[in-house]
Amino acid sequence: MPLSMKVRSFLRNLFLSRRVEADLDQEVHSHLEMLIAENIRAGMPPFEAQRAARIELGGIEQVKEQVRRERIGIWLHSVISDCRYGLRRLRKNPGFTAVVVLTLALGIGANSAIFSMVNALLLHPYNFRNLDSLVRVWEDRGIDEGYDARFIASADAEDLRSSGSVFEGLTTYSFQSFGLGTVGDVQPILGCRVSANFFDLLAVSPAAGRLFSVAEEQPGGDRVAIVSYGSWQRQFGGDPRLLGKTISLNARVYTIVGIMPKGFDYPVPAELWVPLALTPAEKADRTQLSLNALARLKNGVSVSQARAVLASFSHRLELEYPKTNAGRTTTLLQLRKELYMFTLPLFLLLQAAAGFVLLLACANLANLVFARMIGRQREIALRAALGASRGRLGQLFLSETLLYSTTAGAVAIAASFASVRALRTSIPVGWTKWVPGWDGIRVDGNVLAFTMLASLGVGIFLGLATMLHTGRVEPNKTLKETGTGTVTRGKRRVRSALVVAQVMFALILLVCAGLTIQGFVRLAKVYQGFEPASVLKIEISLPQKVYADNVKIANFYQQLLRGTASLPGVQHSSLITNPPASNVDNETIFFSIEGQPALKASETPSADLQIASPDFFDTLRISSVAGRVYSDADNADAARVAVISRGIASRFWPRGDAPGHRIKLGAKDSTEPWLTIVGVVGDVRQNWWNPITRPVIYKPFAQSPQRSMTLLLRTTSNPASYASGVRDVVRQIDSGIALRGINTLEEEIADSIAIIRIMGVLMGIFGIVALALSSIGVYGVLSESVAQRTHEIGIRLALGANPRDLMKLILGQALKLTGIGMAIAVPCAVAISRAMASLIFGVVSVDFAILVGFTALLLFVALGAGYLPARRAIGLDPAVSLRYE
Amino acid sequence: MNSEPTTLLQGTLDMLILKSLVAGERHGLGISRRIQQITGGTFSVKPGSLFPALHRMEEEGWIVSFWGDSENNRRAKYYRLSKAGLKQLEVETKRWGRISWAIAQALEAS
Repeated sequence: MPLSMKVRSFLRNLFLSRRVEADLDQEVHSHLEMLIAENIRAGMPPFEAQRAARIELGGIEQVKEQVRRERIGIWLHSVISDCRYGLRRLRKNPGFTAVVVLTLALGIGANSAIFSMVNALLLHPYNFRNLDSLVRVWEDRGIDEGYDARFIASADAEDLRSSGSVFEGLTTYSFQSFGLGTVGDVQPILGCRVSANFFDLLAVSPAAGRLFSVAEEQPGGDRVAIVSYGSWQRQFGGDPRLLGKTISLNARVYTIVGIMPKGFDYPVPAELWVPLALTPAEKADRTQLSLNALARLKNGVSVSQARAVLASFSHRLELEYPKTNAGRTTTLLQLRKELYMFTLPLFLLLQAAAGFVLLLACANLANLVFARMIGRQREIALRAALGASRGRLGQLFLSETLLYSTTAGAVAIAASFASVRALRTSIPVGWTKWVPGWDGIRVDGNVLAFTMLASLGVGIFLGLATMLHTGRVEPNKTLKETGTGTVTRGKRRVRSALVVAQVMFALILLVCAGLTIQGFVRLAKVYQGFEPASVLKIEISLPQKVYADNVKIANFYQQLLRGTASLPGVQHSSLITNPPASNVDNETIFFSIEGQPALKASETPSADLQIASPDFFDTLRISSVAGRVYSDADNADAARVAVISRGIASRFWPRGDAPGHRIKLGAKDSTEPWLTIVGVVGDVRQNWWNPITRPVIYKPFAQSPQRSMTLLLRTTSNPASYASGVRDVVRQIDSGIALRGINTLEEEIADSIAIIRIMGVLMGIFGIVALALSSIGVYGVLSESVAQRTHEIGIRLALGANPRDLMKLILGQALKLTGIGMAIAVPCAVAISRAMASLIFGVVSVDFAILVGFTALLLFVALGAGYLPARRAIGLDPAVSLRYE
Repeated sequence: MNSEPTTLLQGTLDMLILKSLVAGERHGLGISRRIQQITGGTFSVKPGSLFPALHRMEEEGWIVSFWGDSENNRRAKYYRLSKAGLKQLEVETKRWGRISWAIAQALEAS
């Protein structure tokens, strides 16, 4: 009963508000009339009776306002009316509204755009069920093998799977390049060999067909394939009857048994899956870390618990198989965090920068709103006089600022569809295919929720700031005042704090932006030690079935080198395992030096291993430091030789006598042959994320042929135009070979640091916006405070003050506020740039020039902001300024 | 707004209004005068507290309002007690009894 009453009252208050109001008005009036009548009956004269009645009533409007406050649902009603009022104000001041909404939309939009990347790349890189329980497991040999060397030996993986204490399941996989199609029309396709439980572990099911069975994990029974949705569309034209058809992969026949759903591309960028069929010998292998492993943690098992269990597991293996497993630890990382070392610092920095831009925008707008509040003081006072309480006024401000911020949020959402698409497409394909989640960058529910929360937060912040700034309203005083009203000391302090905050945010943001841009410029120059211009790069991978032995491989590449070198315009043609800027780390090996005592395992020197044909050093114009580079004479029948990089030579042979010494890959007692060092070449930076150039050992291709190599051509004209010539050469040798990754080396380099370039551009934009916002803000506050002192300045001048002293006084105030802001900002900026330097490649900690440069710039802006209005005020005739209101 | 001769305790106003309506329907001024009368002039309820209380109690369902003619033929809003209001008066009376007993005890203790 009471509830239904309440609902009825609520609805009545909401929808019949006009009648409720009329009722109330009549009730109060009739009360007044009855009071008057009572007084007259008591013998008062009519005028006196009215006066007494009004005093007893205490003001019709005030009584009505008090009644309204008691009503159920009146809150909602008043919000609606406040919003209506706010909308009217918005429409009446289109200029002000546009400035506020656009500034906020810029700030909010920047945040949503960056958040769309954070959301996709950091929070949801894969859309697997229960993503947080998926972990990558690998074995660590205690040497720095790079981030992508996370492998496990197959026997160890099998032991781990059967021990099954912390994992619900464990699956293994390994990448494999395939040539798809028949002779004469072979396309490269990156595939993945996976255990039968691979898809079950990820909890994905095929869009059509079936998954692999355990029987298909046996060698010989493994000629089945599952294709990705994308490859079904591209390579097979979306053929609806694809299931059951056969395809040729590396010249073997496979039957397609399944098609995966759209968007499934784990591990990126695989487009095709075949069973991982290991021979018994391969299964029992503990020497080579050859497989990737992925596991799902049991419900309730934390990552640190699992890590502890894995530590004891690897300890057990060490004891059991000391020969192979000594010094090897098994470790794991959440799948979601696998690429965090690349993505986390970048995107958190961007998000923080965008947050700073929004804070600056808020500080600016708070200023603007405060300035307008001074003009509205009389309106506010009138409202207070008519019975509006402080909370009621707060609600009014809040609905106004929320209207601004939500309108801005809507604008930001509308714009974010375009800006997010621009962000997604600005990243080169070469990068995106390695970054899981990149396709997921879009305006989804999370981004919308984030944007809405941000706009609400901004609105509430501005509303509360206005409320605090308005403080206690004294209608009596304000309404009696003429002119624009006054600013109390407390209010001035709030605005001074805003100047300080703006200077602080702007300086920090500018320093970070400067560091990022500088970092990019440094990275762009990072690939030193070779000349990338006029070089074409083509990746070649020979199928294992046809090229089973080294003679065949060597023959193919020999013909290829001879054929391409004779193309008109080609100066040098050479082979290398891993060209610079490939975004892939080199294979890391240990080596021993002849004549030096055997070292402990932890002190064994390590280096990157590259296999190169003799012309490689000329193709990239890598300098020769000592000795000679190897030649065609260093072939399979000749003595084993190697060329080393300057880094190794200067460490072990500082006197420059490296040539002639012998090294061996692996331990001294291994069966590897001794390699005679014939020469030393300059250091080359492999990838942008390597903090320093890595030591490299180059082995001649003729002495250790590999199936997968990269062909590099130095040409006299535009290198891209030579691709078709190379294709013809390859077709003449073997029409079944696929070419992939055809690109000029310069473009490879540009692509490899594209993400840093985009970061630099975004940070640059944020920095410029920050500078503009803070300049406007600081100028606004200072010029207004000078304007308010025009009267005072006039009196001082009239009394004979020196204009120069007055100028000093005003500039001193500007400098004081800016100085406080900088005093806070400089240590923060130093701390942040230290953190950036340790997290972001290419950024160098605390750049003195950037810090001093931007500090000076902001100081200059602040002085200008103080000087211009001060000159105006001092230039005025005291007779005029004294009359200034 | 509490400029009454004696400040009303929180919640007491509701009880007094309900009590004033037991004898029958009254308009606002009538309620105010009745309270003055039954409290021997100790409490005088000003419109600024009376009307908000009346409207709140009406929304609670304790009293019901209707328009009628006053003693000298003016239109006035009348209030009368509902069943829920009568029950509420009992609750308030009991509560008040407890409070006044407790305070009397407290004052008597040395």
